[in-house]
Amino acid sequence: MSKRRDDAPSGDLETKDGRHWEHPQTRDAAHHGRREEERQEPLHPTVEDNEEEIRKLELAWAAPTGFIGWFKPVNQRIIGRRFIVTAFVYFVLAGLLGLAMRLQLAVPENDFLPPEIYNQFFTVHGTAMMFLFAIPVLEGFALFVTPMMIGTRDMAFPRLNAFGYYVYLIGSSIFFVMLLVGMAPDTGWFNYVPLAGKLYAPGVGVDIWTTMITFIEVSALTAAVELIVTILKLRAPGMTLNRMPVFVWASLVMAFMIVFAMPSIIVSSSLLILDRLVSTGFFVPEMGGDPLLWQHLFWFFGHPEVYIVLVPALGIVSTIVTTFTQRTLFGYTAIVISIVATGFVSFGLWVHHMFATGLPHLGMSFFMAASAMIAIPNGVQVFCWIATMWGARIQFSTPMLYVLGFFWVFVIGGLTGVMVASIPFDLQVHDTYFLVAHFHYVLIGGSVMPVLGGLYYWYPKMSGRMMSEFWGKVSFALVFIGFNVAFFPMHQLGLDGMPRRVYTYLEEMGWSELNFISTIGAFVLAAGFATTFFNALASLRVGPKAGNNPWHAETLEWVTESPPPPYNQRHIPIVNSREPVWDWREEQERPVVLGLRSDRREVLVTSILDAEPHAVQVVPGPSIWPFLSAIAASVGFVGILFHPIFFVVSFFLAFFSFVGWFWPRRPWRED
Amino acid sequence: MRQYAGMDVSGLTRFAKSTHPLYYGIIGLIAIELTVVAMLTVSYSYLMFSSPEWPPAGLEPAPILWPSVNLGLLLASMVSMRWAGNRISAGDRRGLIIGLSTSVALHMTVLVLRSFEMAAFEFRWDDHVYGSLMWTITGFHFTHVASAIVGTVVVTILATKGYFTPERQLGVVVDTLYWNFVSAAWIPFYLALYWGPRLV
Ligand code: HEM
Repeated sequence: MSKRRDDAPSGDLETKDGRHWEHPQTRDAAHHGRREEERQEPLHPTVEDNEEEIRKLELAWAAPTGFIGWFKPVNQRIIGRRFIVTAFVYFVLAGLLGLAMRLQLAVPENDFLPPEIYNQFFTVHGTAMMFLFAIPVLEGFALFVTPMMIGTRDMAFPRLNAFGYYVYLIGSSIFFVMLLVGMAPDTGWFNYVPLAGKLYAPGVGVDIWTTMITFIEVSALTAAVELIVTILKLRAPGMTLNRMPVFVWASLVMAFMIVFAMPSIIVSSSLLILDRLVSTGFFVPEMGGDPLLWQHLFWFFGHPEVYIVLVPALGIVSTIVTTFTQRTLFGYTAIVISIVATGFVSFGLWVHHMFATGLPHLGMSFFMAASAMIAIPNGVQVFCWIATMWGARIQFSTPMLYVLGFFWVFVIGGLTGVMVASIPFDLQVHDTYFLVAHFHYVLIGGSVMPVLGGLYYWYPKMSGRMMSEFWGKVSFALVFIGFNVAFFPMHQLGLDGMPRRVYTYLEEMGWSELNFISTIGAFVLAAGFATTFFNALASLRVGPKAGNNPWHAETLEWVTESPPPPYNQRHIPIVNSREPVWDWREEQERPVVLGLRSDRREVLVTSILDAEPHAVQVVPGPSIWPFLSAIAASVGFVGILFHPIFFVVSFFLAFFSFVGWFWPRRPWRED
Repeated sequence: MRQYAGMDVSGLTRFAKSTHPLYYGIIGLIAIELTVVAMLTVSYSYLMFSSPEWPPAGLEPAPILWPSVNLGLLLASMVSMRWAGNRISAGDRRGLIIGLSTSVALHMTVLVLRSFEMAAFEFRWDDHVYGSLMWTITGFHFTHVASAIVGTVVVTILATKGYFTPERQLGVVVDTLYWNFVSAAWIPFYLALYWGPRLV
């Protein structure tokens, strides 16, 4: 790999002998005078990789194996991959529920699903798709990709990462198991009171919904803090904020949105669980409470939530567009500003879900304007992508196809979005299939398609192998056609007045043909998804070897092997532009950081704006404590359904496990 | 591709105290919790303003004396925490331990007073939404004070074992951050719960 210069000293930590290596940018200007005398000695000695050091690094970063070992690893890529895989499992399960609903609706007065089951199915389908699939899968991609994109070896709090995953796994499993025992919630994915109050929903279903959603959001919050700190503090030297890849920006904005949006669902569902378990009166009008409070709190979270899953997906789109046009992204600054603006504006939109509740008029107009305004930053991004692709030689591989599919679907979803943002129209289609069509266009188009593109794109980095292009294209064709056939007719159904959340309808309503077509589309769509999943599984064994950079992409995750070694990069790279990998391809050489110890987990800490190195952080290694802490927390969350005392029990259990987690290991003196 | 040495970081500190990622992590945690505090305060005000009578007919606003004393104690504990941090920066381990223990004692007093106060509430949480809010919000803050106490007790134990030094004091720094949040979080609750009903 590295061609050694004759006069270069060999060995890794040669710099110990006191020489200083300047930042490549400043060296020319500031040290012109020293050039002369250094001519004898090379300015930039080649760094040779030495076997001994690599072995030490591997030892320091290796994840434990074995059954017990499964509960211990904290490496960012392992956790990220687990998030992605688990989320896709829920995607399949919730998708099957969607298919079952479509089967039921295929013909009028069908009796495939009884009404109670249908209610449980749409509730679990909606909840699982939003909370168990969409958010975790994008977090998973962010956790997996961003640390490598910014050129670091792990995230800032590796154990917190692991904790978040177990919380998600435990919470979501409990939620889903309730469906099997027939006790799932049946009050819709936004769980409105008073329907979700004790009076109208006496079973444990809603209890489970509230506790488990709160619990799962804890995991989203840990991932968010993790991402924010990692992105701001652990970037490779030279990666100033305005050289940060767009996907990293998108993850950062997503994380900030999670931090400010999720607490509101945590508060609202905690209040609801109190109402249900100890008879408080927050949402009970007879006691002075107010059901509308639930709607405010829920949508203050719920609307940003839509953008939480959209923003990183748009980041994936930008990444893929850059790579497959092999061009610098047009309007980097405009795109970044749009992403940030989307984050802000999305918090001003919550009331647009409540246009039908009769709030004061002036306030409503404000929210109507804000709802229309959100179209602007999204429009800007679309134009920047078009400009990037304009006249470029586009390589139509599967990831790029998914992005093109996304354009089409997302533009329609955006259009219907602007339509329902207008209050008079919204009042017409409120709670009809027009809405169902709209949000599936936005969610599947805006989120699922880019995510599938991202799966094809980063799969080689995750597994070291390529997915089949042929089956990728087949899957795209099925998804694209199936999706439009399934969901486009729903617009018309909505305008014809078909309400959502009905388990059947009468022949005379004239909705039969469109419903039948829609069901066929749903099955084609499902076949498309299935093709991708089989492709992914089969390629683990038979896919061609990927090599470091199969797509000739420009971001840092592609300079290391596929799959990367446990420490991600042999040397932390130093970055001088937005497309470092393309520069290095031209220059045939690249600067790296020396001086991180190989015998323990060290990452480089840099400043927030300019990524100037100023410290080294020693990150913790594998540990069982995050898992035990997650168990301790689960005891509380599940226990309170039976007795309030579990709150106290779990407080102390969690306390002890946190102490075990943070207790410093001897010898301390060593650092 | 040739790799060359761009910079050497072997001399950088491994102890950075207020630029350490953990510091920012705790700030993130506080941002989340502040949002929760804001949500609870806003919910309280929302329900207060949409009720015809607040507190419900026949009730006086809750007594304000002890909550005010608590506020004083909480603020004082922020000062003693600050002092503890200064002591360890100066390498004074004894001072650190004294400062930490004083702060814990102050928070314990708050818990005791708070327990009496809650026991004396004239209403239960299931009487009306006013009761629900009072119990939930004070309970929320109670739990936070309790967790700040147990966390700081652990830090104190580590301090007695000589773990902290002027360089290695990140643990104290982040514990203080969280401590300050817990103490200061009482301010909005205090204003909303005790002054709100008196002013509207
Ligand atoms: C396999 C593809 C999918 C099919 C066949 C499908 C089908 C359906 C159907 C039939 C409904 C119920 C409509 C009603 O009765 O009101 C529904 C609701 C819903 N779907 Fe999907 N869906 C799919 C994928 C998704 C995805 C990927 C997401 C989100 C990321 C999603 C989110 C939702 C939500 C939030 C609801 C509303 C649930 C409620 O009313 O509480 N769906 N879907």
